[in-house]
Amino acid sequence: MDGIPRGEDLTVRRLHELTGEKLRLTPVTGETGFDRLVRSPDVSRPGMALTGFLHRFLHERIQIFGETEITYLRSLDAAGRKLSLERVFHHPLYCSIVTKGLEPPAELAEFSRNSSAALFLSSRDTTPLIHDLTDFLDEVFAPRTSVYGSLVDVFGTGLLVTGRSAIGKSETVLGLLERGHRLIADDRVFVSRIRGALFGRGDARMRHLMEIRGLGLVDVQSLYGIKAVKERQQIHLEVRLQDWSRENQDFDRTGLYQRVSTILDVPIPQTILPVLPGRNLTLLLEIAVMNHLLILQGRNVPREVKEDLIERIISKENEQTQSDPDGRSEDAD
Amino acid sequence: MRTETVSVVNTLGIHARPAAQIVRCAARFASNVTLTVDGESINAKSIMGVMTLAACRGSAIVILAEGEDESEAVEAVAELIRSGFGED
Repeated sequence: MDGIPRGEDLTVRRLHELTGEKLRLTPVTGETGFDRLVRSPDVSRPGMALTGFLHRFLHERIQIFGETEITYLRSLDAAGRKLSLERVFHHPLYCSIVTKGLEPPAELAEFSRNSSAALFLSSRDTTPLIHDLTDFLDEVFAPRTSVYGSLVDVFGTGLLVTGRSAIGKSETVLGLLERGHRLIADDRVFVSRIRGALFGRGDARMRHLMEIRGLGLVDVQSLYGIKAVKERQQIHLEVRLQDWSRENQDFDRTGLYQRVSTILDVPIPQTILPVLPGRNLTLLLEIAVMNHLLILQGRNVPREVKEDLIERIISKENEQTQSDPDGRSEDAD
Repeated sequence: MRTETVSVVNTLGIHARPAAQIVRCAARFASNVTLTVDGESINAKSIMGVMTLAACRGSAIVILAEGEDESEAVEAVAELIRSGFGED
């Protein structure tokens, strides 16, 4: 739905299509192994295994043959290379990448072909290639879920706006776009957890459409231009719009109590915003984000006020104790 | 119009958390609710108002409510203050 293949469905072919350009991959053995599945978000350097230490060889990972591995293989004679690769290919390898534009030894191509494993050559340096490949694989293999709500980038902060259907999320979000903020997704947000952080995207099929009751579907990019839309955004803060009623006063009047909502086991700060006629929700959402930024910077106004108040109460109490010591001593025990 | 006078019993007085409790409690009622301490009166539905009182333990608070549910409002706020907000 979000256009990113799921870990269990990622074939070598799809990997090549999606990362081939960035990783500068050239297939060495045609399409051999292209239908094999990628089985891990991690990569392996097979150096130790090539030398014969096969304990804990991580064969389910993509194998990266960097300068170390290739230099080692070249230092052996043909028989030695064969023996070394035989050990490694005794395991069900499915994809190897030779980096730095190094000439892959003929035996490596041969073993790959014979075991239906893909072999690529990349002109990129090993470490940056591993970083970019891992970034991609982390996203593909990330735990995912979807939440009902809208995701907007407000001052660089990922703001997730939630609340019951028809409470006015989309209208509020339009107000934010009008003020120059950027829409990632409306209605449904696809969330992935990558290295402990949450990232949201929209439905790839829906692009940046929004439904406004009474107007129907509107296309945000056509209306506001490219500056108003964004593909992906880390989620930092949730604001839940809630119906206001006299009976339900369950929202924070001081800002001292940070609520937390949990998505994919990652806690994110949550603010409950009561919806009342005449409230400018767009403005309030901007302020919620600015407040969040202030707190990140170490400025927690409610806490400062609270500490100041306690000081005032204590000094008032001391004054009273001094002026009326008998009256206080009764209360002291 | 209904009024009742109560004394603050908890050690820390009406600091931020009790202030928020008073405001939440008062806001549940339609009546106007006013608190008076040492001659200073504030709206009990305003967090900033309640916090400016800085009422300490032993302070006498006059609760006054006017409106359709004034009796319930006064009683609820009085009971909350008397209970010490669940603190010592």
